[in-house]
Amino acid sequence: MNVAMQQSTSPPTAAAESRYAAEAQNVTVEFHGHKAVDNVSLGIAKGEVCAIIGPSGSGKSTLLRTFNHLQEPTSGQILINGRPTVPGSRKPKPADLMQLRRTVGMCFQSFNLFPHLTALENIMLAQTKALGRSKDEARERGRHLLERVGLEAKANARPSQCSGGQQQRIAIARALALDPEIMLFDEPTSALDPELGAEVLAVMRELADSGMTMLVVTHEMNFAEDVAEHLVFMADGVIVEQGDPSSVLRSPQQERTQKFLRAVNGR
Amino acid sequence: MGGAGMNTDSWSDLLADLLPGLALSLQLTAAMLAMGLPLGLLMAVGLSQKRKYVSVPTLALVEIGRGIPALVLLYMIYFGLPQAGMSLDAFLSAAVGLAISFASYTSEVFRAGLAAVPHGQREAGHALGLPRTVIFLRVLLPQALKIIVPPLLGWAIIYFQATSLAFALAVPELMSRAYVLATTNFQYLNMLALAAGLYAAISIPLSLLSEHMNRRGSRTATS
Repeated sequence: MNVAMQQSTSPPTAAAESRYAAEAQNVTVEFHGHKAVDNVSLGIAKGEVCAIIGPSGSGKSTLLRTFNHLQEPTSGQILINGRPTVPGSRKPKPADLMQLRRTVGMCFQSFNLFPHLTALENIMLAQTKALGRSKDEARERGRHLLERVGLEAKANARPSQCSGGQQQRIAIARALALDPEIMLFDEPTSALDPELGAEVLAVMRELADSGMTMLVVTHEMNFAEDVAEHLVFMADGVIVEQGDPSSVLRSPQQERTQKFLRAVNGR
Repeated sequence: MGGAGMNTDSWSDLLADLLPGLALSLQLTAAMLAMGLPLGLLMAVGLSQKRKYVSVPTLALVEIGRGIPALVLLYMIYFGLPQAGMSLDAFLSAAVGLAISFASYTSEVFRAGLAAVPHGQREAGHALGLPRTVIFLRVLLPQALKIIVPPLLGWAIIYFQATSLAFALAVPELMSRAYVLATTNFQYLNMLALAAGLYAAISIPLSLLSEHMNRRGSRTATS
């Protein structure tokens, strides 16, 4: 099996020189004996947009979720800016995880906004409770971010009063409020119709242009080709093929990649 | 009052005699809720722990609380505890006993309400680096309360009525007062009917409210 891996050249101690903002080293995730992610290594350079594509059950979302330890790897480790997320021991401490998640933001397929809070309150909560910002500062920052995603008018609306596309943009603003260095996106447009998906992708495109390091699990091939600098194709828990998006999408080398892309393009 | 002119006592006089009892019943209910609600929530949290050394003892406690009749609990606390070197007065014994029983039954309401909050909410909280307590108090609990409050109100009504068990500890609550007055004026049927009317006057509007909230809740339970 051809597992195209970017082998880590630097030892974990050389934190300052790491060329990766985020890196998975030999990550395996096992569910009841089944390896959803099987010994995968993947590096994302600073400022890079990396898109992961692949069929359902390929382990792409599971891999993504190991980067902020929403999914605990069974073995292997995650490095952020060259430093292991779990120093030493196997079991991460809550404080370590909280610190990690302030550096690595995440957006979900189903948005997961807090329905009992307004858009602005959604964006303020973690600023005040995780970062310890004052309410005024958090509100100010929240308004600014809502403006950035084009939703300043929705500041006092509940999520249920917003479209799916608007909810996802609020969720992006909520994650950005913590000033993360890396953003994870888990199929951010899969629950949206194409029109609403487009407005979310526009925000993500702007975010990529601003230099944010992004890891995006997606089925949006155009976005992957236009915006991503690094494309990863996963199947059956391993990276089958990766590289420059255009070359992977237009002239895939592996049979499994060809089969997947034929199915996607045939629709 | 009472004794001599018993047959000439008007309904309103009898009612006025019962009102202090009603006040005490309501106080007893309030004290019971003040202890029982946090205890019920705590038991629910204990029940949903993955760690067995927390969840199993909590389950045992809940089963004991539900398995023992409330009256037995009251007697155990009022008459039994002093033998173990701890004595509570009658009012407090009743409040504590009822609170344990109430918490045991409502722990399941709390647990189910918390479990009904979509898993993604907890995940989003974690992904935002929020401390566990903040996730629980600011994210999960407010959403769970919408589901929990109507059935909880139902349980509160049942336990408001169950405060009449404090009669057995000679707490002069509504039932006790009605009975004691009846032993002096011999108007058992009238006194007990009046007491029943007062219990109902509190219970029925509240249970209508609970039903209304339940209906409204199920209509808006979309997100």
